[in-house]
Amino acid sequence: MAIGTDRDASRGDTLLFLACVGLSVAALSLPDQWRDPLAQALRQSVLAPFLILQRQTELLAAARYRYDAVVAQRDSAALAATFLPELRSENTRLRSLLGLSAKLGGGYVSAEILHQPEPTNPLSFVVSAGKKEGVRPLSAVVSPEGLVGLVASVDEHTSVVLSWAHPEFRASAIATDGSVVGIAAPHGAEGPNVWLLELQGVLYRQQVQVGTVIVTSGLGGIFPRGIPIGTVIGPAGEEKGWGRTYLVRPAIHPAELSHVMILTSARPAGSDLRNAFTLPTDSVAPGQVPP
Amino acid sequence: MMRRTDRYRYPIIMTLLVVLQFTVRSHLGGDRVAPDFLLLALLIYTVRAEPGKSAAAGFVLGLLRDALTPASFGAGALAHTLVGFASSWAKAVFFAEHVFVKGCLFFAGVWIRNFIVLLVSGRLQGSQAAWELLVWSPLQSLTTALVGIAMLWFLRDWLQPRRSMA
Repeated sequence: MAIGTDRDASRGDTLLFLACVGLSVAALSLPDQWRDPLAQALRQSVLAPFLILQRQTELLAAARYRYDAVVAQRDSAALAATFLPELRSENTRLRSLLGLSAKLGGGYVSAEILHQPEPTNPLSFVVSAGKKEGVRPLSAVVSPEGLVGLVASVDEHTSVVLSWAHPEFRASAIATDGSVVGIAAPHGAEGPNVWLLELQGVLYRQQVQVGTVIVTSGLGGIFPRGIPIGTVIGPAGEEKGWGRTYLVRPAIHPAELSHVMILTSARPAGSDLRNAFTLPTDSVAPGQVPP
Repeated sequence: MMRRTDRYRYPIIMTLLVVLQFTVRSHLGGDRVAPDFLLLALLIYTVRAEPGKSAAAGFVLGLLRDALTPASFGAGALAHTLVGFASSWAKAVFFAEHVFVKGCLFFAGVWIRNFIVLLVSGRLQGSQAAWELLVWSPLQSLTTALVGIAMLWFLRDWLQPRRSMA
């Protein structure tokens, strides 16, 4: 690399700079149908080795923690084997400890989140599972606490996830007791209630108690029924007298996660995943009066 | 005057920073606070390169990063282009060869990059953007600047340009 002896911005430097700015503006203006293939091509070519490197590093770090868990499982299994009649219940307890409910069973892929330093990273991020692992576009992305988002695009070994915080995210939602239905959407970026969700379109005559757990309704075919979205924390406003909007504290913030599970197989019609997730501790049961 | 060994020293340092970005970074605390090794590599490059080449390097780096954060596609390319060009130009006009001054350059580079990304992408607004710009970005800028200063200190023999004797 040459040491710049003449550091004045020459005409050539200026032209090169303007060309780069012009190309950047062009990239900003690209429509989605051009932008996504371009980004995908970059991820699958130039960035592929780096993403593999990052994924392997994450796997290596996770392996250290998993080793302890595996040792604990092995010890537990050895202990349980001495009490054979209790083996099944012991296995169930271990599965629940790992956050993998028997109801969720198979049909999911676990993936590491490949965090990036940009401030918009919680809105959309790359995870370390792709087409080869069975991930498809519009697959639901969950954590043991609840809904994280959905898969927007899929590469060979990576996928792009739109989290619930993305302005374009929407999910059909319902209260756990089925009393209230609406649409869950990000609350927006203004005011003190950032990083919250809204339950929109609730009928005006319906009152939702604080602490009510909101889950996915299963309508639309994207998200299976019963994935916790969050907990109602109060009204957000009224929609010209025809409906109500409630603020919902999300079950999990994307920035807190290092691993997610991507649901890969279609669930039978009417299946409900509520029992597979950990409900928020401050939720109220249907019919219960909140404190 | 360029040393003969500069030909491989710089690529080694750049490669080291890229590897650190994709291996160590995620284990250095919160994602919004951990140092940005890629931007640090760009800023170290711009200190010695011409403004045009710095802008081009910034554009390529920004575009690649945009592929990893599609929510702000193009914003990163523009931000890195502007930061690369401005850093190289400002270094040529104003800055002395001093580690602290370069640390300030690293700090400002990261913060301005984040500011431009937020401004251009328009994804975060209001208090959300204020938190990013007044809390998280300064912290990330600080950690990046500290790592940059440490690198300049430990690798000063490699990174310092050796002038020919007049």
